Amino acid sequence: MIFAEWKPLEELTDKLGGFKKVLLAGCATCVAECAAGGEKEVETLAPLLRMGLKEKGFDVEILTATLEKQCEWEFVEELAELVQQVDAVLSIACGIGVQALAERFDERPVYPGVNTSALTIRQESGLWASRCAACGDCVLGETFGLCPVARCAKSLMNGPCGGTRANGSCELDEDVDCIWKLIVDRAEARGALESLAEIKKPKDWSASRHGGPKRVIREELRQ
Amino acid sequence: MSAKSNKNCFEPEVVLLYCQHCVGDGAEIAVQSQQACGFSVRPMMMPCSSKIEVPYILRILEQGADAVELVACPDGGCRFLVGSLRAEKRIDYIRKLLTQINFGAERVGISRGPGLSGEELLALAADRAEAVRNLGANPMKKGEHR
Repeated sequence: MIFAEWKPLEELTDKLGGFKKVLLAGCATCVAECAAGGEKEVETLAPLLRMGLKEKGFDVEILTATLEKQCEWEFVEELAELVQQVDAVLSIACGIGVQALAERFDERPVYPGVNTSALTIRQESGLWASRCAACGDCVLGETFGLCPVARCAKSLMNGPCGGTRANGSCELDEDVDCIWKLIVDRAEARGALESLAEIKKPKDWSASRHGGPKRVIREELRQ
Repeated sequence: MSAKSNKNCFEPEVVLLYCQHCVGDGAEIAVQSQQACGFSVRPMMMPCSSKIEVPYILRILEQGADAVELVACPDGGCRFLVGSLRAEKRIDYIRKLLTQINFGAERVGISRGPGLSGEELLALAADRAEAVRNLGANPMKKGEHR
């Protein structure tokens, strides 16, 4: 899922202080899964904003709505009437949702209420961990289903760095496994250790963010 | 004159949420019949302290209550095993959020049973009322201005 976390409440109340009426818009998809932007978080953040703004001396009316998906135009359209009633929108969807609202309702300021930071899996209740970096050239087939791009601090493609701790954790964070240690362990368990010694072509980073903004066209789907 | 500007006249309104299993027989009737001095209390019995979700307490404060005290079963004494633990984590989280908006973490607290009498419940509400007395009235209360 796309992972996001609330921006500091002080930053949000600073941003909204000058408005009379604001729409707080959530998204019931990824950001609901990571407990940052779903319906429950909208109902948590709305009273906090009202109280925080009141504490600063502002009377701001906060309306609320949660879309099924803020990244699909059909759902975004459901906000059209509500947006007409407000001076600004605070979106707690991921950066895609924020931009979708800003594009559709470009006559209104749309602010992000969260920082979108990673593509994660929920490992256990209250713990999320990176699993994908959307690099555009997936190597999971060669690394036994473990991603060295997202899960190595240096995104190394050819084995561990010299900083792996004796217990197999990363030198930057002892609670994070060195992904190359896990790759080697899994290769060994499958009796395929030699496959890691094969010389591989350099990874094509042009498909990642290094290649500039991505735009994908699939003619078979276009109308 | 707002209650904030005259703290001596301020009588905190405390919402007392308590798990039905952490009180003794008849406590709910007793707490309702007790006379609170220097504060007012609105008791509300819950099936378990863990039924209280974060937005519920924030909404109570948003609607003008000066303080909320949640009374849960003791560690290891929850009939739903981890209900009171969850409640405690939620209260800690709410207190952090209230600090972020400068609203006063003291407005929310948690205490533990078991077998509390009506008088003891009222004493917990009194402690919470004292904790918020210096903060003054909830600015969300109608007529309050900062």
